[in-house]
Amino acid sequence: MSTTLQPYLKAVRQTLTAAICLENFSSQVVERHNKPEVEVRTSKELLLTPVTISRNEKEKVLIEGSINSLRISIAIKQADEIEKILCHKFMRFMMMRAENFIVLRRKPVEGYDISFLITNFHTEQMYKHKVVDFIIHFMEEIDKEMSEMKLAVNSRARISAEEFLKRF
Amino acid sequence: MSKNTRNTAFRKVDVDQYGEEVYEEDQTADEGATGPSDAEVQSMLAKGRNGDALQYVLTNAPLTSKNQGVKDKAAQTVLKVLMSLKANEIEGSLKGLDQAKQDTLMKYIYRGFENPSEGSSAQLLVWHDKLFAVTGVGSIVRVLTDRKRV
Repeated sequence: MSTTLQPYLKAVRQTLTAAICLENFSSQVVERHNKPEVEVRTSKELLLTPVTISRNEKEKVLIEGSINSLRISIAIKQADEIEKILCHKFMRFMMMRAENFIVLRRKPVEGYDISFLITNFHTEQMYKHKVVDFIIHFMEEIDKEMSEMKLAVNSRARISAEEFLKRF
Repeated sequence: MSKNTRNTAFRKVDVDQYGEEVYEEDQTADEGATGPSDAEVQSMLAKGRNGDALQYVLTNAPLTSKNQGVKDKAAQTVLKVLMSLKANEIEGSLKGLDQAKQDTLMKYIYRGFENPSEGSSAQLLVWHDKLFAVTGVGSIVRVLTDRKRV
């Protein structure tokens, strides 16, 4: 199972490197406005083919590109109820602080757990390969953090139950 | 005198569609493109000619067809062929492909990722890796930008 992790991340990295070629493009609909076309979606000619990369039925990444912006949505593996709750809370925590993340989207795309929005302004300010590195690193770390949190929850629950039941 | 001004239907007209530079998707649909024949592919796989089966399905890919059913059927056939090839045979079969077929194959790999089933994603990841080693980022860019969806 874990033998698919490295090829999965490699495929995501390669696709991201291809899709993250963005250039400045002002809105064709409203003058003097500059909007991320992947979010607005009014002009079909500016949108690229959306592409999915999946590791199994539960984990996948959706990459939607356009001329000036890129949206990456990640579905994280959630094996049981407690992981679902942990994932939801953790993602919510990060999405509330999306300003500080710069490339994070405040709401995930339907069907996924977390979404990133990268615009041409970001690629002008930051190195493209570093942004891609960040996303891949994020995907790797999420799984580790989730298992760590799950262990912490279980051990805390065990300790508090022990202390409580000592009274009886 | 002004009976015609009662009619306010003009307000509902979408004026944007009449603009000069409105983009229209290429309307020319090739009704003849029916995709690879399932029976043909089955017979090739049964004989063990996996490389030939791959060449056949990629040559007959219904790229210009507007019929979604035809495309879905072709995608399933290609997925079957991709699953049937073993890991060590993949490199050999990739050698015989020209650029157009490589791009079509990359499109089908991404199409296969959209409907993951038992073990399909793992095999597709191997395909993706091997094909990328041959083609580089170029084929992924062509998959993203080509209007002819698979």
